Amino acid sequence: MRLLARLRGWEGLLLVLLVAIVAMNVTRSPYYLGVENIVNLFQLEIEKIIVALTMTLLIINGEIDLSVASIMGLAACVMAWLFRHGAPMPWALLGGLAAGGAAGAFNGFWVAYVGLPSLAVTLAGLIGYRGVARILVEDRSYGGYPAWFDAIGQQPQLGPVTVSIAVFAVLFAIVAVILHDSGFGRIVYVMGNNLQAARYSGVRIKPAKLSLFVASGLNAALAGLLYAARLGSVRGDLAQGFELDIITIVLLGGVSIFGGSGNLVGVGLSILVILNLRNGMGLADITGNTQTSVIGALLILSVLIPNIAQTVRSNWKGRET
Amino acid sequence: MRNVALTGAVLAALALMPQAASAQEIKPGQAENMVLLPKFLGIAVFDQAHKGAEEAAAELKNPTKLQFLGPTPENSVAGQIEIVTNATTQGVNAIMISNNAGDQIGPAVKAAHDKGITVVSWDSPIPSSEGEDVFVAQVDFKETGKVMADMALKILGDAGGKFAVLSASPDAANQNAWIAAMKDALKDAKYSKLDLVETVYGNDQSELSYNQAVALVDKHPDLKLIMAPTTVGIAAAAKAMQDEKLCDKVKVSGLGLPAEMVAYTMNGCAPAFALWSFVDLGYLSYYTAYALATHAIKPEEGAKFHAGRMGDYTITKDPTRAKGLRILMGPFSVYDKSNVEAAAK
Repeated sequence: MRLLARLRGWEGLLLVLLVAIVAMNVTRSPYYLGVENIVNLFQLEIEKIIVALTMTLLIINGEIDLSVASIMGLAACVMAWLFRHGAPMPWALLGGLAAGGAAGAFNGFWVAYVGLPSLAVTLAGLIGYRGVARILVEDRSYGGYPAWFDAIGQQPQLGPVTVSIAVFAVLFAIVAVILHDSGFGRIVYVMGNNLQAARYSGVRIKPAKLSLFVASGLNAALAGLLYAARLGSVRGDLAQGFELDIITIVLLGGVSIFGGSGNLVGVGLSILVILNLRNGMGLADITGNTQTSVIGALLILSVLIPNIAQTVRSNWKGRET
Repeated sequence: MRNVALTGAVLAALALMPQAASAQEIKPGQAENMVLLPKFLGIAVFDQAHKGAEEAAAELKNPTKLQFLGPTPENSVAGQIEIVTNATTQGVNAIMISNNAGDQIGPAVKAAHDKGITVVSWDSPIPSSEGEDVFVAQVDFKETGKVMADMALKILGDAGGKFAVLSASPDAANQNAWIAAMKDALKDAKYSKLDLVETVYGNDQSELSYNQAVALVDKHPDLKLIMAPTTVGIAAAAKAMQDEKLCDKVKVSGLGLPAEMVAYTMNGCAPAFALWSFVDLGYLSYYTAYALATHAIKPEEGAKFHAGRMGDYTITKDPTRAKGLRILMGPFSVYDKSNVEAAAK
């Protein structure tokens, strides 16, 4: 019953949209259904959708992390710098992850313990972490990593599936369990709905918020390192501007920017809608600004439709009484 | 027995002889699905290259329409990778790319090449040359450095002075090679009064380039010249100096489009700049990619072919990279008050 009710709402709309897009892709391109293309469809945006998972948790919690793309760049640049200076690859990777965790903890400290708005804190992070990344690699690009590292990002390792896609699948399952089937998940929602109420009902708000930001930083770092593996080389502008695409995915998934509502089913559908739309347009040779405009229009609609529906519904109710 | 050995020797001798010097004619009318991929859309020079490629496509009577696909400037790296990957999925015959992703494009291009797709880079090569058949170079990169050094000397005069470089993205292989070549040229004693103080990057975005130009002047009060080896950068820098009313003090030079620069050249903000024809570059890139895709020539040193109105070209080793092949187009045109108005039309 709950699933049915859900499908009539926003998720239902996304599902209809997804079916329409897939149907269009199937009829318009003979290449669409190939295994290689389906893998590429995910692979070309994989780092963004990985980060979208922790972004979902944060936005439901009533916060936001604008610094994720800069953390992706920071992690990759720290890794590149360490490797360049003789660190073995596994240590360089750990260093990148640690940098991401530290950046996330820094964000979380100011938001959770000092009480600054996450919009401001992570906006500063967006600029600051990118700056550190650029200082580390300067204006060069660093490549020449071990073959196994490049293979992780560039070649299928598990049947036709790449490591990045497997990582995404596992993370999706973990986040789904945390959000929808654990006590911590309920706390995330309660805090997003009403922080005061959560505080008075004894929820330990500060560590909860801090842990979400650390998770976001670690996850962004992981995605940044996977992106570095896919590209085979790192430069200071790695993943620059990705934060907006990531937030777009989450909002299109029906997660309220004000916190407290949304679910991972919606975000999963939103991911499929955007990826299939992009891939279909790519195969139809629609690129550049046209592609950007279509996705922009989709986002505007995703903001407008629920609001219009709400207005219509309340007007209707008003007439009845 | 003797005869056989003799014939064998003659054949061996023939094989060792240098290839016949005549250029390979290309057979027109073959259906080749070709993609022209600029750094990004919405830049005049890439539209000109597109025009040249269309001209070549019409001459070669390719029944398959040329695809002109490009990313947006803010999404250039990921966008170029996406377009190359989708083109590979579609199994196109040739990709012509002006690379803006440095070696980050390598894996995507290699995947295309492994699938048998002809990959020609133009305007900006793949630094490692991995996955690339040949690079169509607009001009000799060494000459670009020399031309820029000469323009700087002409503008600053014998007294010399401080100048700065405003480049495109930090990883643009072509700009970096030109700047390196200019620094090399500057070692000559006659340029000893020219003092290159800094290189900054505007990422080929007008606003960022404009701000970088203004920042340069703030940082170096005695700056006399901004050298921008990019059409976006030079126009933005000239506009910045004009807006700041600094044209008497700080001149702008570099590589620019006559149509975009004519006003600044006539009012003295940018007294001299240089460029090659992007129409010709697109034309030659198309001929090269078509010749390779139809197997009229092989991507190897010494291969020669006839490129329509532009004449004969030969594939050589690329002296500007550790590995890789190139076709050199050339030459340069230097524009100043005397000829810029005619070229801008």
